[in-house]
Amino acid sequence: MYALEFKFMRVYNSKNYTKRTVELFRFTIQCNSSPSEGSSCDLSTSLLESVVISMNVSKKGFHRELIYNIQYDPTPQDVRVLLIQRVPSGMYMDAYQLASLREDTGLQVLLDSKVDLEAPAYVSPGFSAFIYLTSDPVSSGHLQTRVPIHGRYHRPSSTIRGWETVEIDYPRLMIRTEGCETLLPSPPHTIVEASCTFDNLNTCSWLEIRRSQALDPVSLKLPVGGFSDVVPVCAGTLLVTLLCSCLLSGAIWKYGVFEPL
Amino acid sequence: MEYILSKLMRFSVLFSVAFGIRLLFVGFGIYQDRTMVVKYTDIDYHVFTDASRFVVQGSSPYNRSTYRYTPLLAWMLTPNILLTPHFGKLLFVTCDVLSGFLMYRILILRGLTDVAACRFCALWLLNPLPIGVSSRGNAESVLAVLVLGTLLCLEWKRLIIAALLYGLAVHVKIYPVTCALPIALSLRRQRKRDGSNDGLLTMMLRLFSKDLILFAAVAGAVLAGLTWTFYCMYGWDFLHETYLYHLTRRDIRHNFSPYFYMLYLTAESNWSPVLGLAVFLPQGLLLLLASLAFHTDLAFCFFLHTAIFVSFNKVCTSQYFLWYLCFLPLVLPRLTLSVRRGLGLLVLWFTGQALWLAPAYYLEFEELNTFVLIWLAGLFFLLINTVMLTQIMSHYQPTTTEPTKKIT
Repeated sequence: MYALEFKFMRVYNSKNYTKRTVELFRFTIQCNSSPSEGSSCDLSTSLLESVVISMNVSKKGFHRELIYNIQYDPTPQDVRVLLIQRVPSGMYMDAYQLASLREDTGLQVLLDSKVDLEAPAYVSPGFSAFIYLTSDPVSSGHLQTRVPIHGRYHRPSSTIRGWETVEIDYPRLMIRTEGCETLLPSPPHTIVEASCTFDNLNTCSWLEIRRSQALDPVSLKLPVGGFSDVVPVCAGTLLVTLLCSCLLSGAIWKYGVFEPL
Repeated sequence: MEYILSKLMRFSVLFSVAFGIRLLFVGFGIYQDRTMVVKYTDIDYHVFTDASRFVVQGSSPYNRSTYRYTPLLAWMLTPNILLTPHFGKLLFVTCDVLSGFLMYRILILRGLTDVAACRFCALWLLNPLPIGVSSRGNAESVLAVLVLGTLLCLEWKRLIIAALLYGLAVHVKIYPVTCALPIALSLRRQRKRDGSNDGLLTMMLRLFSKDLILFAAVAGAVLAGLTWTFYCMYGWDFLHETYLYHLTRRDIRHNFSPYFYMLYLTAESNWSPVLGLAVFLPQGLLLLLASLAFHTDLAFCFFLHTAIFVSFNKVCTSQYFLWYLCFLPLVLPRLTLSVRRGLGLLVLWFTGQALWLAPAYYLEFEELNTFVLIWLAGLFFLLINTVMLTQIMSHYQPTTTEPTKKIT
């Protein structure tokens, strides 16, 4: 039995700053059946079993970094990993910063929609980021990447000033090996069609690693204002601006030259 | 030391040194960008370059999010794509030195000697703030040239060029529009008067002098022409990003404005329009009053105007300070402040910024909830600016002779 899921995605290629619409068909197979046609090359069960991902947040305040560490048993195969990270409305990634990092460090991240860099959390939708990692022959068995992420301003708390907690779920983890065109699903893992590389030119089959236990989201805190401040703040602001306006008007009146029109 | 200073204050030496320093900084910026994690180039410069790339490709510069400037800027910087990515920085530092030259000409017109004019220009030309801002690729110097050019042409009575520059300046950044009233009043003032008391109708008619109508027609035509052309080319995006965004801007993120925390807390409240008016009223009234009081001395009036506008604005970031600092060298020669008091005010101004920057840093990078401290620092900074402006007004020696000279 097949469960088919089609999804149309628009992917913004931050490298060229241009919108390129590609169709990413997600073809999810949820049972043991497998396509019979095409040459296949299996990812070894031991490799799949060994994949472990950890996600951490470094830095404080509004400008953070997501650090992903992926460990697996060293293999001679050229392993490619794709992380699909759901970014909640309280956070954003800056496509232009990612493009600059692409130049400097080779970071490969695509965003699935145009992201407003300035809007507050309460008017922003979330979005997904596609993070591509390629195995390095030197450090086989370990992949690490750091992706900058920023906090949005949140709606002030209804009581006193405090902190808003934003939770970032673990990304979906996909794996494939270079030169392997057809993958066989090995339950509980499923096959997903997604763009092969950061270049976003053609699609490949990826094996999504399903974990039996969901990992706890990473949470971070962002300062928010408090509505309990609203009366003193409005009164104070208007009083001080009124005072300054009076001082300045007084000076203008005293030292200015007023002529009849 | 005295010898070196006197040599440096020669026109050719000063301007060459100023340009050389800027070129050095541009060169250093290229080196830092290539080798260090912290980049020298301003983020806005990348925005301009990206927008130029779109223009070269034949599409709209507004495809680049956060591009909120005139398409002229993206057009001007097309050599960034076609020639060298550093073209824009070279253009901006050249404009920076050119604004120094315009200051020099205005100071000479205001009766200063060559050496004295150079000394006051040096406060701009050798000032690390404009050097840093222009060599990092910020376009403020282009606007400084347009506004100072308008001022110089007005003092020269070259009304058509002044109006062209002014129309362009308002198109590039909307804020010089506040200077329209003092310009209008100054143009009215230059009409001959016979000393008799006029009736209301004559007074009203006097407001509409030939000079004023000419100025308004040319500046209006430039502004309307550019607006219409770009609206036809880029549609609503252009109107929204270039003009409307700046008028309706409700940036709730922390900034130097005294209103920041109040606007953040009330962003979604029903009181928002009322507060918007309460925020606009003092700014508007002060600008009106300053226009009526100081239009006889346009340089001083422009300085006060922009300083008041920036201090009382809903949004204020540090680059806004340059808007009025470019008029400061024109005002300083007529200030009778003692050096001690002047330096005291300068220290106070920087202290005000430091007091704001500290809690802002802790909010942004250290997760501390410093909203109230930032708000208090913003209010304190407004008080400091008020004290500075009142001190400047009280120690300003208005010209006793007619400041405008007609050149033939």
